[in-house]
Amino acid sequence: MLTPTIHEKLTQKFENAILPLKELPPGSHSDPFIAVNSSKLHSVLKYLKEDSDLLFDNLICISGVDYPDRIEVVYHLFSYKHLHKVVIKSLLSDKTKPVLESTCDLWKAANWLEREVFDIMGVHFNNHPDLRRILLPEDWEGHPLRKDYKTQEFWHGIKVGM
Amino acid sequence: MAELQTQELTINMGPQHPSTHGVLRIELVTDGEICVKAIPHIGYLHRCFEKHAENVDYMGVMPFVDRLDYVASMNNDMTYAMTVEKLLGVEVPKRAEYIRVIMVELNRIASHLLAVGTYGLDIGTFTPFMWAFRDREKILDIFEMASGARLLYNYLWIGGVWMDLTPGIEEKIQEFCDYFEPKIDELDTILSYNQIFINRTKNVGVIPLDLAISYGLTGPNLRGSGLKWDLRKNEPYSIYPELEFDIPVGTGEQGTVGDCWDRYMVRMREMRESLKIVRQALKKIPEGPFRAKMQRVKPAPGESYVRTENPRGELGFYIVSDGGLKPYRVKGKSSCFTSISCLDDLCHGAMIADVVAIIGSLDIVLGEVDR
Amino acid sequence: MKSYFLDIYTGLLSIFKGMLLTLKVAFQRKATIQYPFVKRELPSRTRGRLNCNIKDCIGCKLCAVACPVDCIYITTVKREPPEEIPLTSPESGAKQRKFHLPQFDINFTLCCWCGLCTVVCPTECLTMTKEYEFSVTNQKELVWQFGDNQRVGPKESTS
Repeated sequence: MLTPTIHEKLTQKFENAILPLKELPPGSHSDPFIAVNSSKLHSVLKYLKEDSDLLFDNLICISGVDYPDRIEVVYHLFSYKHLHKVVIKSLLSDKTKPVLESTCDLWKAANWLEREVFDIMGVHFNNHPDLRRILLPEDWEGHPLRKDYKTQEFWHGIKVGM
Repeated sequence: MAELQTQELTINMGPQHPSTHGVLRIELVTDGEICVKAIPHIGYLHRCFEKHAENVDYMGVMPFVDRLDYVASMNNDMTYAMTVEKLLGVEVPKRAEYIRVIMVELNRIASHLLAVGTYGLDIGTFTPFMWAFRDREKILDIFEMASGARLLYNYLWIGGVWMDLTPGIEEKIQEFCDYFEPKIDELDTILSYNQIFINRTKNVGVIPLDLAISYGLTGPNLRGSGLKWDLRKNEPYSIYPELEFDIPVGTGEQGTVGDCWDRYMVRMREMRESLKIVRQALKKIPEGPFRAKMQRVKPAPGESYVRTENPRGELGFYIVSDGGLKPYRVKGKSSCFTSISCLDDLCHGAMIADVVAIIGSLDIVLGEVDR
Repeated sequence: MKSYFLDIYTGLLSIFKGMLLTLKVAFQRKATIQYPFVKRELPSRTRGRLNCNIKDCIGCKLCAVACPVDCIYITTVKREPPEEIPLTSPESGAKQRKFHLPQFDINFTLCCWCGLCTVVCPTECLTMTKEYEFSVTNQKELVWQFGDNQRVGPKESTS
């Protein structure tokens, strides 16, 4: 099932929570995606996993991207039963306190992937069983992959950087 | 008889440990010898790859990509090059594709030799480790002839390969294929069907298929649980549709489907299949250019996710381009990151020695876990 | 009962076969070479330490830009009119050397041996040699100087 068909099916069920499909310029090699309202993200993903025509039983990747006016959290999903892929994006416009609902109850892979997005981008996930930093030390300050990140001077008395 | 007073003990299998395949810290909570919880702590090898990639141009990211899974460096190069080529819309010449596949499959053999050898070392035998590394040296010599380096090649570039094959290398690869085939049988005799090894790895660390899919495991870890899924066959890329090879799957030959022995055996059988691929590719390699003619690498604004089959699983790159000379965001999704996350579920009720066997069978490289 | 003895038999047989194989390999030719008395023959494309032939450098700074870790530091001073502009060697295309190069340092603690700087050099003055044995005891000695009229070697010598 291709992305426009999935988009149609989702719009029928969730109406306003699904934003209209962005038209890609002709000749573009970019992947198509479906943008979802962040408050309904968990129900949309649950529907994607459980509906018999869609059955997305595998979460490939969760990434966070920092733009000047928003933070995007991108979910790449795959189905081993129907062999199709989809890209779901959630746009968070509040950069001081970005919050999303955790999907650990749907896919076990989401546990560590969400911890990583929290660590390097600062997005908080509600109802996550164990939300703490994963790659950086527990007491590190700041979220490195933000574009306005400044490295701290010292960490436990060690000079950071060269 | 009165109840004995017992207490659970928390042991630290610290970042420096001979059996953890890198700097990995595991917090083991044990009840005597039986493990109750095993919590992995990572981040000791975090080198900020994703932040560096935003400050260098597309070509300059290639040395950084090499260093993700430093044992299978050609595979990482290939995935990154394929993602940027998809964004650019560039077609790679046929000769370059054949060279890429030969290098990638030889690197798969080298990587599996390391996995198998160090797994034997973890279990306690020293000889298969020595034999595996002796054979691996021959592959590294071939790579040094082709690209100039032994471990981190920077050879597969965007649009093709850096330089054409050196004269004399095709004979050397053919010689290696003929030399190596009986060596896999030797490794089988000394390690795979050795009763001590079987007793240590059968029925240990069983991953049922639905748990493997939920955790997002890929590669030999998923195939060991019984699912016949390989990106080279199911979502073919490059010239794999023109080559004939089989996908080995775990069958529960020595214990249950999805135990450590199954995953280990999938790797041994994959080495034979990779040899078949290298032989076929050597026969069919055409003449032609080794790199596509391109201007500066400057993709149009957009984003793309491409994944390929690496020795340890699937590596995927999600690249967001804003039309400039440097990428806006590069995210590397590695297979070892998800493999190590399922350690807690596998170690319930296992003994401490089994924890070592389970980590070895998952075949992790910390460079990929921490990036 | 029968399976118990069968298990013991198959187990012992597999170990016995393995030991026979080990004995056979023990008398084959060894793969180890006795480094440092015997050294391997390195292939022609080996990427060892960088070397810069400063007489061929035209001061374009393409190598410093291409380096992913910024380990090349170059300072150029333009040659003023009464001064004659020398040419680089005939093999590298006899290009005009419009700049003095008082500083051409490479920091080998940062260099990642990728070879990207050698690819972009227009006169091929920056090449990779086959040298890999230049370890030192002081980190400062790994910053090498290649500039005009400078002795090729570590910038600061502490010995």
